Amino acid sequence: MNRYLVFLSLLILLLIGGMGAGALQQDRSEAVSNNKSASSSNSPAKPVTGEEVFQANCGRCHRPPMTISQRTTGTIVMHMRVRARLSRQDEQLLLKYMAP
Amino acid sequence: MLDFPSSYTPIKSMRDQGELLLLKLFNEVMEPGILGFFHQMRLLPLSVALALCLSACSRMEAQDANDDENHAGYVPVLSGGAGYVHNVNGGVTSLEPQINPVLLVPFGSHVLLESRAEFIGFYQREHQTSGPFTGKVFKNVDYAQVDWLANTHVMVSAGKYLLPFGLYNERLAPVWIRNLLDQPTDSNIGVGTSGAGDGLMLRGVAVEKPSYTLQYSAYFSARSNINQLQAARTAGYDASIFLTHPRLEIGTSYQRFLQDHQTNSVAAYVSWQPPAVPLDLKAEYDYTYSGNGYWLETAYNFEKLPIPSFLQRLQAVGRMQQFFPLNGGGNGLPGVNTQRFDFGLNYYFRDNLRFMSSYGRTFSSQRDANVWNLGLTYRFVLPLWPERKK
Repeated sequence: MNRYLVFLSLLILLLIGGMGAGALQQDRSEAVSNNKSASSSNSPAKPVTGEEVFQANCGRCHRPPMTISQRTTGTIVMHMRVRARLSRQDEQLLLKYMAP
Repeated sequence: MLDFPSSYTPIKSMRDQGELLLLKLFNEVMEPGILGFFHQMRLLPLSVALALCLSACSRMEAQDANDDENHAGYVPVLSGGAGYVHNVNGGVTSLEPQINPVLLVPFGSHVLLESRAEFIGFYQREHQTSGPFTGKVFKNVDYAQVDWLANTHVMVSAGKYLLPFGLYNERLAPVWIRNLLDQPTDSNIGVGTSGAGDGLMLRGVAVEKPSYTLQYSAYFSARSNINQLQAARTAGYDASIFLTHPRLEIGTSYQRFLQDHQTNSVAAYVSWQPPAVPLDLKAEYDYTYSGNGYWLETAYNFEKLPIPSFLQRLQAVGRMQQFFPLNGGGNGLPGVNTQRFDFGLNYYFRDNLRFMSSYGRTFSSQRDANVWNLGLTYRFVLPLWPERKK
């Protein structure tokens, strides 16, 4: 049981460490892209680009597939639209992102 | 003349030389052992031939007018994952090669035929810790369904489909997706008798707003004992709300088992990928007649750390879980209180090729045991048809 508690502590540490590292990274990127912040802060929360759609939906389960050819993209995105329950609009944004 | 397996003859007669070259390439790329798997499954070549024939005959318009803004192709695809797992559980070694091909055949941009087969080898030493390795290959059709993507709000799936329950069965089960090679103990809850249902399923986006999306799946499955179509009589739903800005998904699943002892199974889950951090946090609680349990998993990708680029491909994973049996457990669930933790370290050679390793320890009144896993996973996507010229 003690080992179990130790692991739970490690898990929480991993979580907190990850959050901390991410926060630092965010601070850096915000400093670099300060010029863009004005426009992005006013943008709606809904993803408006295919990359954002991918990160918000597909990224919940797996990493970006960088090795999919354009000729198969339509079929793959249809498959993922069913699996991930994507909207028609998100499907179109994904297609433009993956097969521009 | 190209040397094709006899089972592909019906396809060969329908194809021109370019398509034959594609198939030859496919045959050369696939390992002979993998092709052996295909030979063992008689339904697959028949299904491929039928689907491709229908696809060729229909020649439906693959793209809508508004799809002209992209260059996406709609060709039949053989996708899926493959993996090799070296598992040591309590001193007993298991070797588990596997391949899960997924056949995708689109008919236009609104109808999709999809099917996934599973070939898993399971080999152990003859006397568990000594002797030569012996075992067999298990074959199964995970799902075979036709999808009609009617609109944003309704998609209809008919046939044999994966039961949408919790996070694992439908989403995280493929070996190339999951962060740890072993599935959580309570992932056997809510998957009926075979993990799949035979019947009809509706799914889609119920509400789509800038700040959130409400997604749903609802299904009814008939009882079936037909070979490769085994399913239980069940009905259920899965619904989740996805908060766009924090990338937080909160969902729940319900299933009513409608045969034998009619029981309910429920699940509640959370999935969170904070935008600023390469962190993946997932948690799920499951309850059924045989017991209840939960698991909590977190994965951190090193991609944003200020370290050499080859180390940024690393991923650290941790998971803890507990299961508490009710009514004696059973149905693939432990009969005693069980706790387990796992810690894994994965390395992505490419986005589709990954080395996985993990150490875990199980605590229960029956025994405590160390669990070691080493594995390699690969995701493949192979077009089965030349692209339609515009």
